[in-house]
Amino acid sequence: MRGGALVAPPDRQAGVDFSQILQNILNGLSIGSVYAIFALGYTLVFSILGIINFAHGAVFTLGAYFTYALTGQRFGFNGLLSNTALPVALPFIVAMLGGATLAGLVSVLVERVAFRPLRQRNADRLLSVVSSLGVAVILVNLIQYLVGAESYSYPSNPFGLSKPAINFGSVERPIPVRSIQIVIFAVALVILLLLTLAINRTMLGKALQAVAEDLTTARLLGINTKRLIVLTFFVSGFLAGLAGTLVGASQSITGPYFGITFGLKGLGVIVLGGLGNVSGAVLGGFVIGLAEAFVPPQFVQYKEAVAFAILFLILLIRPQGLLGRTQVQKV
Amino acid sequence: MSDFFNTYGSLIVFMVLNALLALSLYLPLMAGQLSLASPGFFALGGYIAAIMSTKVFHVEAGAYPLGYVLIEMLLAALASGVLALIVGIPSLRLRGIYLALATIAFIEIVRVLSLTLEITGGAVGIFGIPQPFGTPLGYLWLALPLLIVAALAIWRLERVRVGRAFNAIRADELAAGAMGINTTYHKVLAFTLGAILAGIVGVVYAHVLNTWNARQGTFEAGVAYLTYVLIGGSRTVVGPIVGGLALTALPEVLRSLGGESLPTWLNNFLNSGQSIIYGTLIVLSTTFFPQGLITPRLLRFWRRTRASNDQ
Repeated sequence: MRGGALVAPPDRQAGVDFSQILQNILNGLSIGSVYAIFALGYTLVFSILGIINFAHGAVFTLGAYFTYALTGQRFGFNGLLSNTALPVALPFIVAMLGGATLAGLVSVLVERVAFRPLRQRNADRLLSVVSSLGVAVILVNLIQYLVGAESYSYPSNPFGLSKPAINFGSVERPIPVRSIQIVIFAVALVILLLLTLAINRTMLGKALQAVAEDLTTARLLGINTKRLIVLTFFVSGFLAGLAGTLVGASQSITGPYFGITFGLKGLGVIVLGGLGNVSGAVLGGFVIGLAEAFVPPQFVQYKEAVAFAILFLILLIRPQGLLGRTQVQKV
Repeated sequence: MSDFFNTYGSLIVFMVLNALLALSLYLPLMAGQLSLASPGFFALGGYIAAIMSTKVFHVEAGAYPLGYVLIEMLLAALASGVLALIVGIPSLRLRGIYLALATIAFIEIVRVLSLTLEITGGAVGIFGIPQPFGTPLGYLWLALPLLIVAALAIWRLERVRVGRAFNAIRADELAAGAMGINTTYHKVLAFTLGAILAGIVGVVYAHVLNTWNARQGTFEAGVAYLTYVLIGGSRTVVGPIVGGLALTALPEVLRSLGGESLPTWLNNFLNSGQSIIYGTLIVLSTTFFPQGLITPRLLRFWRRTRASNDQ
């Protein structure tokens, strides 16, 4: 007896599922790579100072707005800078890197204002958390004060792509993926690769690892820790700003609070990977990106909660994160 | 005088309620735990009030009975307490930043749920919550006793064994544990008490506002309550109360400072830049007066000068 007639032909059934799965994977990798570069910024700062920079999400927002300004587009009518535009109009890629650089400089300023004074006073670490929250509040509301609360979009097709979507399947069974998602994935991968090389292959990267291991010992060994901390904040802000532009290019800049939810999701990413663990942040970014991509369409309204549910579960099951070490606290 | 109360009636009520919310954040802070969960429990309390008063208790006409409000408060306290145990026990076994992270996850999950569930009215929220009082100022009958009871209870708590254990944990958690204090138990207790208070305040708030939606319990709201505590003072029960009262009134004061003689950008700033001022105050206070404006030393100083004046 053969029961094959009752079920659908196996290859077709698998094919339908497979195309959906492949599409989810590609979308998940794309957003996951942005989570990864964003969360790396959190993690770099955490690894050397042991604090979480809550202004990171606000710097992400700023980066997106800087890029918008550098492409020479006009701001809306609400806010102090109503209807103004820069006299220059840079190509998108240049504006993106410029925006990220400016975001990096803001991040250095954040360190100067919110973290260094407290560090010099040897204050409680929770106070640094609070003070970076204060900076986030200032930045977000400053944006609103200057350019209003409306959403902004980059020029359509910012990367000058020839096709809006690329088909990964066949003609009969198309698996379309928006080409911007692929560009985002590529940009994020290049950045991740460069950063990995910089951390593992350069003297500066080795110095960074030494500072992450033990700040005082690193200083005793002749490493200029102050300069390294400034550099770390610059890199962290650069990554945040870049992530902001990439997310803005894939959707739009939804207003001054653009980066706050993203920033909070980033906390889920770093806790999942292990606080202060660089490879963990990358892994966590991809895991959360993929998890969000696989939320079934009928539950799409719960997608925003996925990162937070994961954060909570990981605190419950494995607080040191996927790749983290358990730390024994000594007196 | 009656003009003053008519104009500023709702402001006065919000000042008192925000002082209570500041206390709800101060409670976990007594045991050294930074929690941003208060808005979540506050939102929960508000939804309980909104759902009970519009869907369960049907009051046809006239003022909404106070007894029902008290039942809602009791329910909100119970629900918040149970939920606080569920959130608190796993995250408070850990030290350091983990509670802040867990509470952020908690308020975001509450926000997503209230936006999507049917019973909370989705993005629109719940409208037409009945009012037990005719004027906004009437709510002082609920808010003021609540503030007095909460303040006295916390003041007393700081002077008994449990409060001293909180204090020891804040000073040094490892040392407190080594002295035989059950740190997890006390941290969960402090967190749960704060949650219960926030839930109860949510009930009153929902009736005052007459409407309730997902914008009520956000991350930003948590930062605002934190500002009240930090600026007012995080080491005495007086600090959060003063912070909550003063910073709620601050926007009104700033607005009244504006006028014809000032440039437009400054007037705009005084009207809409309060959050920038809040943020600046947070950054400055953590650096320059980490204990807030009302410090234990200041209170002792006042007491001493009063004592010497009496002699």
